[in-house]
Amino acid sequence: MTYHSTHHPSRELLGKFAEGSLSAGMSVVISAHVELCPQCRETTSALEAEATLNWLQNPVSDTAGSEPDFSHMIDAITSEPQSITPEADRFAVNEIHMLEGSVSLPRVLAKLASDGLVWKKMAGGINQASVMLDNETQCEFLYMKPGSQVPVHKHRGNEITLVLDGSFSDEMGRYRESDFVLRNASHQHQPMSDEGCLCFAVQDSPLMFTKGLARLLNPFLQYRFRRATSAQA
Amino acid sequence: MEGIAVGKSAFEKSSPAAIQTRDVGVKSATSGQSSERSDEDLLIAVGNNQDTASFNLLFQRFSKRIFAMGVKLTRNEQLAQDLVQEAMLTVWKKAPLYDLDRGSAQSWIFTLTRNRCFDMLRKIKRQPNTVNADDIWPQQEGELESNLVHEERGSMEVEIAQIESYYQELPDAQREVVEQIYIHDRTHEEAAAALNIPLGTLKSRLRLGLGKLRQMIGIEES
Repeated sequence: MTYHSTHHPSRELLGKFAEGSLSAGMSVVISAHVELCPQCRETTSALEAEATLNWLQNPVSDTAGSEPDFSHMIDAITSEPQSITPEADRFAVNEIHMLEGSVSLPRVLAKLASDGLVWKKMAGGINQASVMLDNETQCEFLYMKPGSQVPVHKHRGNEITLVLDGSFSDEMGRYRESDFVLRNASHQHQPMSDEGCLCFAVQDSPLMFTKGLARLLNPFLQYRFRRATSAQA
Repeated sequence: MEGIAVGKSAFEKSSPAAIQTRDVGVKSATSGQSSERSDEDLLIAVGNNQDTASFNLLFQRFSKRIFAMGVKLTRNEQLAQDLVQEAMLTVWKKAPLYDLDRGSAQSWIFTLTRNRCFDMLRKIKRQPNTVNADDIWPQQEGELESNLVHEERGSMEVEIAQIESYYQELPDAQREVVEQIYIHDRTHEEAAAALNIPLGTLKSRLRLGLGKLRQMIGIEES
């Protein structure tokens, strides 16, 4: 893939990612984008170096007298064996098989998908597979069939959509593989996809809209996509 | 009893003797000859020789910083102490995998502390164990490819004999690694120790060097 993403996380958001201060859901979607985007990978390395300096420069508050001493830990630690080979790539799944073919996934999403995704059919030709990451975000894989359209909706908080394959568009533009699309409460939008689109989406507050209703109106279909094995790659 | 009291008051008055004692105490931890050794040097000694003295020094230099990060993020001293234990254990275990070419020892320790802390907080909040920090911030990509280098070893040995001139064109850092492995026939661990670089660095330089050689002799990457 030579397509370079045109939509990226802000430097501020990458900074929080580098510090490790974001929720798991946000961290996962940024990690997946960073893996796909050389530019953001470089920025993240620089921000990690920056965060390291901040860490080293922050004064260590030595509360006089009760200076903690951890040296008793040393012997136990150094009696442990060291690892000379990195852990192998442990994920059973590194791609998702869709009806039209398979899509290879960024590492962290492959790990998530390896637990098995349960797809639900939603209104408008959308398939959704939720994953649980934390109590602060709602995360899901979304597959938009060619010609599908998400009902108009609004968000209470932020919604990030990372395009993994195909493309979608809304009132503000067209988004392709590796694009990181951030929408907040001020946006009302209606995503649609002509060619079909696989995304990973994270919302930092629950959507309170027609979604639940759509679920009731539509036949509830549940199926599991076949697990891909890494041997097939 | 009396001895202790005298010692304490002497310390408080900062008598010359007390100052000297204090200086010696500090010296053994962070200064003198040892302070001239960089964090990278210490980490290499830990990774290549399981050097506990070097680990001790790293521990002195970083444990309080790690504790401070833990207190800030967890607001709990017990958890912060657990973080010191976990992070320094990871430093010990993964020291051989540190790669000099990818960043400072400080950054390496920072990121692994961040990762341990992230996992610890998620566990406390009882968040599902679907991914962990090492999935979110994967370690060097090079690690995954290092097995490949190993497998190709047999065929590359033949090539090296034929392409000595190409091989001279490699950057020094890569040439000396290739030389250790293919000419002196050392294991990765032996070569890393001989060159005083971390095993992780040796592997990544080897990969780069072999890649370049392959390019020079026109073997397609498969």
